[in-house]
Amino acid sequence: MTQAGAFTRPGIFSKEVEVLRFFRTYFLPRILIYFLVIVVGVTIVFVIPRLLPMDPIQQMIGQITSTGAYLDPKAMNYMIETLKELYGLKGSLWEQYWSFWKRLFRGDFGPSYFQFPVPVISLIRQSLPWTLGLLLTTTLVSWILGNVLGALGGYFPQKSWAKILDVISMVIRPMPYYVLALSLLLLFAYFIPVFPLGGGFLIGGRIRFDLRSILILLKHAFLPAMSLILLGVFLWFQAMKLVVQSVKNEDFVSYAKLGGLSQSKIVRRYVMRNAMLPQITGLALSLGQIFSGALITEIVFSYPGLGTLLYNAIFTGDYNLLMGIMSMSIFVITTSILVIDLLYPIFDPRVRYR
Amino acid sequence: MKTLRDLLRDGRFKFAFAVCLILLILSVMSFFSPYDPYRWNVVPRDLSPQWPHLFGTTSTGQDIFWLLTFAVRNSLTMSLIASMVSRVIAIIIGLTAGHKGGKVDKTLMFISDSFLIIPLLLIIIMFAVMVRGRMNLAGLGLLLGMFGWAWDARVIRSQVLSLRERDFIYTAVLSGSSTLSIVFKEYMPFLIPLVFATLIGNMSWAIGMEIVLAILGVLNLETPLIGTMLYWAINYQSILLGYWWWILTPVMTSVFLFIALYLMSVSISEYLDPRMRIQRVGRA
Amino acid sequence: MRKVLLVVSLLFACLVMAQLAADVPRNETFIANQLTGRVGTPGNFNLWAGWRWQDRGIQNLLLEPLWCVEYATGEIINALAAEPPIYNSDFTELTIKLRKGVYWSDGVLFTADDVVYTIELLKRVPGMSYNAQLQEVAEVKKLDDYTVVVKLTGSNSRFHTYLLDRWGALRILPKHVFEKVEDPMTFEFNPPVGTGPYVLKGYDPGGYWTLWELRKDWERTPTGMLYGKPAPKYVLIQTFGTAEQQVLAMARHELDAADLTMEGLRAVLQRVNTARAWRRDFPWSVNIDPCVTGLHFNNAVEPYNNPEVRWALTLAIDIVEYAGNAFDGAVTLSPIHLPLTSAYYDWYFTRIEEWLKSLELDLGDGQKFKPYDPTAGERLAEYAKKRGYKVPTDPGEIKKIFGPGWYKYAPDVAEKLLIKNGFKRDPKTGKWLLPNGKPWTITILTTTNPAHPSYRNGFAASQAWKKFGIDVTVMTSDALATLGQRGEFEITTDWPAAEPWGGHPDLFRVFDPYNSEYLVPIGENAPWGNYGRWTNPEMDAVIAKLKDTDWNDTEGIVTVGLEGLKLLIKEMPGIPTFNYPGVVAWDEYYWTNYPGAENMYCQPYHHWPNFKYMLPFLKPTGKK
Repeated sequence: MTQAGAFTRPGIFSKEVEVLRFFRTYFLPRILIYFLVIVVGVTIVFVIPRLLPMDPIQQMIGQITSTGAYLDPKAMNYMIETLKELYGLKGSLWEQYWSFWKRLFRGDFGPSYFQFPVPVISLIRQSLPWTLGLLLTTTLVSWILGNVLGALGGYFPQKSWAKILDVISMVIRPMPYYVLALSLLLLFAYFIPVFPLGGGFLIGGRIRFDLRSILILLKHAFLPAMSLILLGVFLWFQAMKLVVQSVKNEDFVSYAKLGGLSQSKIVRRYVMRNAMLPQITGLALSLGQIFSGALITEIVFSYPGLGTLLYNAIFTGDYNLLMGIMSMSIFVITTSILVIDLLYPIFDPRVRYR
Repeated sequence: MKTLRDLLRDGRFKFAFAVCLILLILSVMSFFSPYDPYRWNVVPRDLSPQWPHLFGTTSTGQDIFWLLTFAVRNSLTMSLIASMVSRVIAIIIGLTAGHKGGKVDKTLMFISDSFLIIPLLLIIIMFAVMVRGRMNLAGLGLLLGMFGWAWDARVIRSQVLSLRERDFIYTAVLSGSSTLSIVFKEYMPFLIPLVFATLIGNMSWAIGMEIVLAILGVLNLETPLIGTMLYWAINYQSILLGYWWWILTPVMTSVFLFIALYLMSVSISEYLDPRMRIQRVGRA
Repeated sequence: MRKVLLVVSLLFACLVMAQLAADVPRNETFIANQLTGRVGTPGNFNLWAGWRWQDRGIQNLLLEPLWCVEYATGEIINALAAEPPIYNSDFTELTIKLRKGVYWSDGVLFTADDVVYTIELLKRVPGMSYNAQLQEVAEVKKLDDYTVVVKLTGSNSRFHTYLLDRWGALRILPKHVFEKVEDPMTFEFNPPVGTGPYVLKGYDPGGYWTLWELRKDWERTPTGMLYGKPAPKYVLIQTFGTAEQQVLAMARHELDAADLTMEGLRAVLQRVNTARAWRRDFPWSVNIDPCVTGLHFNNAVEPYNNPEVRWALTLAIDIVEYAGNAFDGAVTLSPIHLPLTSAYYDWYFTRIEEWLKSLELDLGDGQKFKPYDPTAGERLAEYAKKRGYKVPTDPGEIKKIFGPGWYKYAPDVAEKLLIKNGFKRDPKTGKWLLPNGKPWTITILTTTNPAHPSYRNGFAASQAWKKFGIDVTVMTSDALATLGQRGEFEITTDWPAAEPWGGHPDLFRVFDPYNSEYLVPIGENAPWGNYGRWTNPEMDAVIAKLKDTDWNDTEGIVTVGLEGLKLLIKEMPGIPTFNYPGVVAWDEYYWTNYPGAENMYCQPYHHWPNFKYMLPFLKPTGKK
């Protein structure tokens, strides 16, 4: 009997064997993929900005000359050389790539080109709390609310409130987000002036850790959050409803009903637990998308955040800022997918024994 | 034909079918438009809806009704291309990964993850900028299609993973059915509702992306699309200046378009799913 | 359930609070929109280290330059300098006399030490602004506490223009602050110290607003000395984002000075009865901006290297329809490569008008054609009247508002010129074919901002040439600077010529980019103002003559300038269409006496450095 055979024999070593096997065939390769994905992603993130037609040095010179400073061509060439040096764009692509990774391990994304020499990290640090605060809350709230409503709506499709929600969601979902956001702004900041027209905080005030500051923050965040939640809730609502509707007709649900289990138990433990599976993956991905920021939300409501930072970075050819934000985004998304994938067997026992 | 009549019994399908028919007629009418949608100042500006300008005119001197026919035609074409391309990719990848498992699964998920981890909107903006606004409709459809499949591939894969453990799959595999027939006969009936759900999602995503790209100004703004109509209406302050006909036209069109697509897909998938059909019979 | 409702309504009640912080009263605050958008580095005021959104108050409230252009009156303001620049006979040495009695906002006296230190520091540290230009400085020293002498490595009669503020300049930094700093590039300069009448009171960490307070010793600044006490105690510069938001803010009286689009302006005028534009009547837009817009050919590319083709394209434009498409007629036409502000009108247009009327084009086989149309402005006024706008009837007024004239709409003549050069019309489609037989397609490269005159010019031109029978596409790109500099375009909507100073007759700034010394092949960087790579030996002669003319010799400068302008019109390397139509809206709810068209004591924009010179003249209305 071979060594391998010894290990596959059932017996007192089963539990350890299972864990080891899980480790070898599932966990380790998964971690390997995790790191590989990050490397590939970061490489893509390095390459793409350089494919843009925007040359950061040219854009900077264009910026300088258009705001009054006069550059004769001798001076301009001098400036180009200086900037190349300062931006770290001298040397071949390989050299730049390697120095990028070296910096990355130190946790330094380098200086932003457009706002030289402010380090990319501090730019991100300034805008991140606003984006995180707004998008984390709205994603979670709309996910929870949407899934609950969707589950109930899918299970009881004949109820009137479910039908009404369905109609509302059908109308709101296809609305271009810009129009939805603008309508909210017009309604609640202009025609019925309850909320401020924009900004993250009171003008002239300082943010402190007291109730007043929190209330002011909430007041300014209300409309942008509302616009995002409206869209998000109905998205999850529709998706969940569809899933629940198909799960509802599974045999095990019919058995549960025949077995006399209470409605709420069926919905909670049988229907929802099964319907949740694709939704959880979706949540992980949504959370990861936070880093792209809610660009249009920020534009319409003048709300601070990463979205406009990123957008401006594209158009000024700010490689370091682009790479910084996108790398962070990659880390977060891959990590959350990894976590989900590793926890998946816990949720779905059928997958466990592969 | 019998299928169609069967489907038409469902009130929701009737409504959706009617709307889609209207939109299709509009698209065809674009070939008979008396105005070139690329020319400005061909009609008096800022007229409210009146004969002969059924939906009024814009501040750029264009007739909204005829502009709409082109916009509908182009947006529909574009989103169809985008969602078909991405459906095909998503199904192929999701199915193969879920069913085969092992190395194939890992490689495919690896590729799919690589597409997911990059902030999508920005990458699309960057690609659009790279092609320097010379993109035509097919190009835009292709671009969106190439980026719109990753999430759905994963969803399909997880569904396939759960299905794969079922007895009927084992039965099919053990009885020697080829992979292809397993795919079509066993998996598809379960996947089709999912695919349809993701198809509307994807079509509306494509049109939504088109609108976002148009509003950000990254598309060729002279091409009549629903998104570019919106863009011009917003930028010329139609809301605040009271030119409601200009902004409402693209908004209402996209609302109706989406509602129609959704209702249609829901009723079709219910029709196709044998167990849902029984429910329908009971109801009808 | 009821308890929940109660809590929610209590929360709502708490949330209804005043818009500004308690100790910043609205009626003592002037609120202006920030043109350049949200600040990316809100805590960094060191504009010598890079782009720092200087119109958030840094250039227009905090700092004073040595000299400042005032294009409304056509003068140059001596701010930190006491007199105009003094050069030696061969322009290798510049003497600057400084104003006495100016104090920095932290109480230190401003002296020549600051100027010397600034120039030396910026020349020494790579990456700082003007570092490249200052390499021309051989030595800088002070003669006494209020006189600085700059010795140059070569002859440059326009060196001082680096210190002349025209929405940007080499400004003086405080020596006593910067000499203590280890790395001037990373130094944040927060809180900032300046020679202007306002100091920083607060700013938004999210980058959406900056709040400034009047200095207690405002009389020790050039603004105070020249113009008096600025009226608003606080100035808030806020980013509102889209035009819709500015309109809504103005309707709530939360914005006093806005930057809008034409349509946004119309919306504001409709909704807000205390709002006004720069000109109280149509066309409302500011036409004194020292900048002329239009189209810019790539003269290094076929067929735009042929001046007759360029003229043909000019004559194919119906300028009235063009202006209608671009801005609904609310523009001031300009046939020369200069903006027709009243100063340039007097200095140059009056002296070139006769020549324009007699200008002739040679159409071949003995035919001649006079392209100039002195009635173009009146025709534009007619269009405006037909659109329902109120238009003045006095011909003098019409000339000033709509332009003195432009070139005729003569597609038949354009056709003759093209045929003379080998172009043909396709017999089937009627569209134009190049001499090599291929269909003529034009791609116009323009910016992505739809409110920008550049953009509007692009679309208007595409419509005009489409009508003429050419296949035109407009390509919007944000890489405009990159593509333009490298010459990777056919036609762009970059200005037809570089902008002049605005407050001075010298046209060196306009002509120097055409210097054949700077000519580079496509793919390398061309100087701004001549991305189109046009050169001409006659222009080189003009530039050389101008270089040797002293800055203060007005007659000499104008004579040479006229030569250059005539050459530009004959060759048409770019088509000038109309003055930059700036759009500002003012709310007279809290403040009045704005520098409008009827009261042009000062230029109108709040983002220009001249904003601080406007503030002493504003009057509060007294409303709470």
